[in-house]
Amino acid sequence: MSAPRPEGGRRWPGLVSRVVAAVAGGYALGALVSIACAVLLPLARSEAVIIGMMLSFFAYAGVVLWVFAARDAWRAWAGVLLPGLLLMLVSWAGRPS
Amino acid sequence: MKEGFRQCMAWLHTWAGLIPGWILFAVFLTGTAAYYRGEISAWMRPDLRMEDRGPEAAMLGVRELQRIAPDATGWIIGLPTESDPLLRLYWRPPGERRFRDGILDPATGRVAEGGETRGGEFFYRFHFELHMPPIWGRWLVGFCAMAMLVAIISGIITHRRIFADFFTFRPGKAGSRSWLDAHNLLAVLALPYHLMITYTGLLTLMTMYMPWGMQLAYKGDQQAFIAEALSIAPQPRPARETAPMTDIAPLVAEALRRWPEAGVRRIGVSFPGDANTTIVLGKGDRHELAIRRRELVFAGTTGELRLATGNDAPAAQTVGVALGLHFARFEWPFLHGLFFLSGLAGTAMVGTGLVMWVAKRAPKRGERRSFGLRLVEALNMGTIFGLPIAMFGFFWANRLLPGVLDQRPAWEIRIFFALWLAAYFHASLRPGRRGWAEQAGLAAALAMLLPVLNMLTTRHHLGVALPAGDWLMAGMDLGFLGFGLAFALAARKLWPRPGLAVAAARNRQLREEGA
Amino acid sequence: MMAVLALGLAYPGFLLLSLAMDRHHRDLLGGSPGRVRRQLCRIGGWALLGLSILPCFALWGWSFGAVAWCGVLTLAAFALVALTTYAPRAALLVAPLLPALGGAAWLGLP
Repeated sequence: MSAPRPEGGRRWPGLVSRVVAAVAGGYALGALVSIACAVLLPLARSEAVIIGMMLSFFAYAGVVLWVFAARDAWRAWAGVLLPGLLLMLVSWAGRPS
Repeated sequence: MKEGFRQCMAWLHTWAGLIPGWILFAVFLTGTAAYYRGEISAWMRPDLRMEDRGPEAAMLGVRELQRIAPDATGWIIGLPTESDPLLRLYWRPPGERRFRDGILDPATGRVAEGGETRGGEFFYRFHFELHMPPIWGRWLVGFCAMAMLVAIISGIITHRRIFADFFTFRPGKAGSRSWLDAHNLLAVLALPYHLMITYTGLLTLMTMYMPWGMQLAYKGDQQAFIAEALSIAPQPRPARETAPMTDIAPLVAEALRRWPEAGVRRIGVSFPGDANTTIVLGKGDRHELAIRRRELVFAGTTGELRLATGNDAPAAQTVGVALGLHFARFEWPFLHGLFFLSGLAGTAMVGTGLVMWVAKRAPKRGERRSFGLRLVEALNMGTIFGLPIAMFGFFWANRLLPGVLDQRPAWEIRIFFALWLAAYFHASLRPGRRGWAEQAGLAAALAMLLPVLNMLTTRHHLGVALPAGDWLMAGMDLGFLGFGLAFALAARKLWPRPGLAVAAARNRQLREEGA
Repeated sequence: MMAVLALGLAYPGFLLLSLAMDRHHRDLLGGSPGRVRRQLCRIGGWALLGLSILPCFALWGWSFGAVAWCGVLTLAAFALVALTTYAPRAALLVAPLLPALGGAAWLGLP
């Protein structure tokens, strides 16, 4: 089985880093999505929380797919961290006072 | 780049499928069995089935709880339904956190003694807790479910000929080709089910897996969220004064008047015997897709209706539909059967995927099999055939263990795990077709003899159940026969017969030359 | 029993769709389908699959009907693959039998 690197060659550090990005980064991004929805959606509190929870799993799955499809580990991480940062900023800005 | 992308997804599909694969197989199979958990429980306690489902049954339950647990801090009565015809009693003794439980014997009106079993509940709980401490089991299953979601999506991307191969199955093709066909068919033809069951499975425990939005919005008060989202009435505080409880029957009759179709499934009494006791009647979900908590809350001493709960907001409704699809508690036999078959297809999809991993790496003649390959093959055999053996063994244990036995339910479960472990040992000692054939043969024998065992040990065997039109008992026995037959066919096909293999290869060659 | 009608529409629907493909046409009828026949098979197949949702709605209502339809399609497709592989002649024979049986059940004939 080829590791997810078109140029071939087994590179354990890159693989481990991707697995971490997928498992931990994916969970973190899912959590941030659930928080952003809970904070930002202009709905009843319970509704916004439920929608956030339901979407978070798609975000998690999306991150995993992205991480293993990205051309190199750097891009993989960037694709997790940038949206994560963005979500954090937006949630922070829209936090209930 | 496009091919590179597909390769990446194929790689991801392989490993996201293999690593949690054995757990996923077990979750799928026991979860599929749990579609009939009421029927399984009833098969395991056939003498305790109850015809009455209304006020009378509720009264019997209350009377018995008043006798055995008058000082409990809470009671719950699970009323019987058509598919789950046992009357269950739960009570929490003072100073304890967990409920104890029993089943009411309709013949005596008392909690049945002897023959205790976890019944179908064992498979149900196993499929999301793996018989581990709940926290660990649930997180582990959640992790595997997430991997499954990833495997499904990456699998769709990898499979480039979904429509061209939609009906393609070529058994008897060399190597892993026919396994790939089977895997693709099982995945593609039941794809809506696989996506649905995996995602809704995650949703069933979402407040545990993804609590962060809730934590923030409710400042860590999970109870407040649950009260709002599920609209559950707040728990009363005990007045610490005794007062007699009102008669339950009129309350149930009132609920049945409001819910003529769905009926009452559950009766909760908090602080029975206290002046502040409340009685909560929960609606059944016979013919409703969405699981929505609908409750009637009565004052326990006067029987006055205080509150009718239920949350119809769109997101809460959506979750209700998702949970309804996952639990499939509706009582439409045909639809229920379709879910069961789809669950079996999912189980087989995971199983064929696991087998394919080995088949693709089969060593050439004379090569040694690597340790990893042998390990995966043994795990495959011990899971794919070993788990059914253990499940059938669980039913055997139910019929063969003495009725009165200390920790009887635990013994049934020990036998289940002992058989499963033995299957792994056998698989590691007997790699290859021979081992597979032997385990299939054992599973077939265990399954096909279950109706016979039932005949020897109970008065509810096929000879009685069929003429009486008792489709619950007859259905279980016929189901065992069906599974036994399937395993017997598998065993026959797998049994190594050197002469035959040569002849088959020759035939195939001739056919291909002729074509 | 009335659920058979839904199956009886979905099964021939899938059969027609498969006959529009070279491999399955060759296995079941021999030769490859002409352009007209291929188009007819396709249109007929999709039409039957679409029609098969109606008995589902009628039997189980809107929400359950949609769920049941997915299940019926899955079952019909599995049945078709199993029959074409192991009993190709029966695969063709079942196609008119199932809807006839389902129609009879629907109309309440014995």
